Amino acid sequence: MNLSVHDTYTFAAGELNMSPAAASNLDYTPPDGGWGWAVVFASFISIGFSYAFPKSLTIFFKEIQEYFSVSYSDIAWISSVMLASMYAGGPISSILVNRYGSRPVVMAGGLMVCAGMVLASFGTSIIHLYLCVGVIGGVGLAFNLQPALTIISTYFQAKRPLANGLAMTGSPVLLSTLAPLNQFLFDSFGWRGSFLILGSIVLNCCVAGALMRPVNKLVKPKPDIELSKRNGEEVEGIGKQPDAHLSVDKENSCQRCLYRFIDFSLFKHRGFLIYLVGNVAMFFGFFAPVVFLAPYAKDLGIDEYSAAFLLSIFALVDMFIRPATGLIGNTKWVRPRIQYFFSFAVLYNGVCHLLCPLATGYTGLVVYSVFFGSAFGMLSALLFEVLMDLVGAPRFSTAVGLVTIIECGPVLLGPPLSGALVDIFGDYKYMYYACGVMMLVPGIYFFIMHYYNYKKLEEEHRKSADVEKRTSDEAVTLNANQDDQPVNE
Amino acid sequence: MALSMIYSPLLLLLVSCSRRVVSKTTGPTPAPLVPTSTLPTYVKSVVLKGESHTERLELLNPVNLTLECTWAGNQNKEPNITGWWLKDGNDVPNSRVPVELQNEQYNLRGVFSVNNDTTLGNYSCVFANEARIDFLLEAPQIGDVREKPIVSYIGDSTVITCKMDDTKPMPITWNWFRDNGTEKEQIIAESSRFEIKNDERKTRLVVHDLTEEDSGLYYCGAVFAISTPMSHVKLKVITIMEPLKPFLAILVEVVVLVAAILLYEKTQSKKKATAENVPSADQNNTVTQEEPNGPEGSPSTRQRKV
Repeated sequence: MNLSVHDTYTFAAGELNMSPAAASNLDYTPPDGGWGWAVVFASFISIGFSYAFPKSLTIFFKEIQEYFSVSYSDIAWISSVMLASMYAGGPISSILVNRYGSRPVVMAGGLMVCAGMVLASFGTSIIHLYLCVGVIGGVGLAFNLQPALTIISTYFQAKRPLANGLAMTGSPVLLSTLAPLNQFLFDSFGWRGSFLILGSIVLNCCVAGALMRPVNKLVKPKPDIELSKRNGEEVEGIGKQPDAHLSVDKENSCQRCLYRFIDFSLFKHRGFLIYLVGNVAMFFGFFAPVVFLAPYAKDLGIDEYSAAFLLSIFALVDMFIRPATGLIGNTKWVRPRIQYFFSFAVLYNGVCHLLCPLATGYTGLVVYSVFFGSAFGMLSALLFEVLMDLVGAPRFSTAVGLVTIIECGPVLLGPPLSGALVDIFGDYKYMYYACGVMMLVPGIYFFIMHYYNYKKLEEEHRKSADVEKRTSDEAVTLNANQDDQPVNE
Repeated sequence: MALSMIYSPLLLLLVSCSRRVVSKTTGPTPAPLVPTSTLPTYVKSVVLKGESHTERLELLNPVNLTLECTWAGNQNKEPNITGWWLKDGNDVPNSRVPVELQNEQYNLRGVFSVNNDTTLGNYSCVFANEARIDFLLEAPQIGDVREKPIVSYIGDSTVITCKMDDTKPMPITWNWFRDNGTEKEQIIAESSRFEIKNDERKTRLVVHDLTEEDSGLYYCGAVFAISTPMSHVKLKVITIMEPLKPFLAILVEVVVLVAAILLYEKTQSKKKATAENVPSADQNNTVTQEEPNGPEGSPSTRQRKV
């Protein structure tokens, strides 16, 4: 008898005299283990498909391009449409998760992508592919990504960075699996047959969805001030809904409606705004270096197979760094200041790219791939963990929906803009400088802003601790005056 | 043939054209079968010991070709040795001539009329079985050959392409051929199912309404004046059943796993529910603990624990 997930989200967050920060904003204790690890595995699969699936489809593009007699850029649009749909579908996904929980949404997402791919395998025009693979597939993947991230925040609190790191590892692992698999499918069945079979493979997201059991809310939370201090999470409540913790039914139905759809109050949230602004800037330079790694290598005179091998090195390093980052993020030294760790990761990326043009020859590029792989992995593992840390678990679903739809722009524009830079200057190094700067500046921005944010949070925490003391004192005096009345509990 | 470029005997190469002159002409009008004009010559480095060397020549048009070989000789430096020519490993008739040592070098020269497929090939000058230079004469080859077969489906259409490298010369036109068991049969574009589209460097063969018999080798030929070099692509036509089998297999796997997981969860929660009921029964039914009377442990006999 599990309560549905959406009940949590209709509660007000951070009831001051009950559960400060930490187990914060949740009125139950997350298991931090047990079935949680099965959920991590399920998220691993869902996140893996969401990120790796669009990238792995590029293997079919040459053949499809010849089949439909279109230019390569027309074909590349399939990837872009899919990515755009995946990011734009974020808010829809958030709404559905808030209402129905992760499990049904992920299973629906899996079915959608399967349907999209099966329909695409019978495609007769490129527009058909844009719609089936791009739109339907993309939205289906959005229905996988958001819930997978959200459910981790419901299952984990103390071990959350580790859980996030492990779940995000799905992306490089699945990409390394899908790439050769797709090649094999293509050689055996051509593009149509491959799309059909890929449709069934992606249906495994439904298996992942089945594993995403809604978390058991019956365990009461432990009011743990120490825990909250260590985690440095914020204490402030929603502010709009006083006494909402008493009963869901008594809550104002209008506010409940609002809360259930998009929570625009997030835009007043300091941490969220910091995260959003920094990320939008950073995403311009995030994916482009990955896209251009192989072309850059070929431009330097390296043969095609060695250039492809660079990407394999990158993926391999990425694969191991993500869980490692999760582990580090979980340590007691890093966890309270995890925002700094994230800022460092962004800076590290920037520095990597700025130094890339110094790499001459194949060994230089191998070294760069290793460092870039570690930087990329570190950043990816922390990307959503820090958002959870900033806004807290109940609002995470909405937050990530808003973040993805706003990030849609830079993610789509980044690679073409970088490509334009390469074309204008005829040299890849300016693009790397630009990407380096696009990550360095947000990195420094994050450091400064989070320093300010942590200070503010501590101030607020001290204030709330004072208020709590005062209210408990009042309660004691109140009970002393009313001790002859029967207490009904 | 060994392609040892580093150590090679000194050789002079003279290429002459009879009809189409590619560069300057020198010398008086020669008798037939003797070179009419000369083209750029180039000199290769000398090797002390007799080694072999391979030279590749790309020819577009029919020529009268003069090939000259020069060898520095070995330690013996015999005044007279025999030199001859080979074509594709076979002796060229009447090519065996005595070679004199002149200026510490042996010179051998051959004149060949190269105008079609049979006359293209591997020409070698041999010095007394000690030194050898191979000349590979060929029309521009089609690079970028697709090794894996193209897979397509019955009723679908497919596109087979051939491309001539940008570094190579452009062919006059393209032809397509189909293997007929015994020989290659040219595909005529006018027939309804086949469409041929030729760009200068690219050619596309579109086959509509595929059937299983359409599987096999397809040859694209780049037509040059001298010859038509070919490259082949294999086409495989399969039914929709082929990918459908793995599709259904994975579908079954997914359904089984989902059902198993959900069933497991249901049994787990049932167990929990029964486990939860037992302690509450203990609380309310101290009597039933001592007298397990199932249905009689009803609310009427309940006693509250203090």
